[in-house]
Amino acid sequence: MLKQECFAEALLDGAREVFETMMFMTIDDTVEEGTRIQGEALLGSITFKGGIEGCLAVCCDMECAKTIAINMLGMEPGEDIGEDEVADAMGEVANMVMGSLKSRILESVGELNVSIPSVVTGNELVSSLGEDSGKIDMIVSIDEMPAKFSLLYRDAAA
Amino acid sequence: MAKSLLVVDDSATMRKIITRTVRKAGLSVDDDIKEAGDGNEALTRLEEGNVDIILCDINMPGMGGLEFVKKVREDPTKASTKIIMISTESADELIDGVKADGADGYVTKPFTPETIQKELTPYM
Repeated sequence: MLKQECFAEALLDGAREVFETMMFMTIDDTVEEGTRIQGEALLGSITFKGGIEGCLAVCCDMECAKTIAINMLGMEPGEDIGEDEVADAMGEVANMVMGSLKSRILESVGELNVSIPSVVTGNELVSSLGEDSGKIDMIVSIDEMPAKFSLLYRDAAA
Repeated sequence: MAKSLLVVDDSATMRKIITRTVRKAGLSVDDDIKEAGDGNEALTRLEEGNVDIILCDINMPGMGGLEFVKKVREDPTKASTKIIMISTESADELIDGVKADGADGYVTKPFTPETIQKELTPYM
């Protein structure tokens, strides 16, 4: 099993690659302690199974999700965008971050098969995989808006 | 002569991104870029005719990209149609495997416009 620090570093590097390449947005991991996502949020998640199994999730508030979607689609700031498009974009973010993470940890964990991403909306959204799982919760700032990357994992044999 | 493109991805957002990237790359493509949400829909678009290049995701509900490539290559009338896979999957074995099954190129997400341009240019 990889150390938690290795997963955290791979997750942050992978997320930065996706956001800088596809959305031209920067991720800052030095946020104020106690920073949290408030109000209605979107959570894009994707599960994986293979050498390890678990779930990767990306969560942020609606304003941040809209900005991400607008940047992804090359729209102008403030341009109108539908809720479906924002949700679809969040799913694709989870998919791409998972892909970037996978390429960084594949040699260490072996084969990983990923699911189709899914997206939910709500308040105080959290991901859970049971007591025997490892968990990384990383609060970051995306263009000065709070967002959370979560990685839950356990050995496939568990 | 402008080439006819078909973009296959279950994410409408990703289809728009790919379409926009192709247009921004200044490649000579038809104004009407066709789209499909999975392999089955893509086969229908292909039957409607006039597709030179397919840009196709791998991980999709319904018929995925790996099965789709095999189906297209089973049809001798589509032998000249170029297929470029676009996926988050980056394992060498998978890339080699899908190329052996008939894909002509492979782009890993996330991608830059330059990557798309470089992969498509030989077929323009």
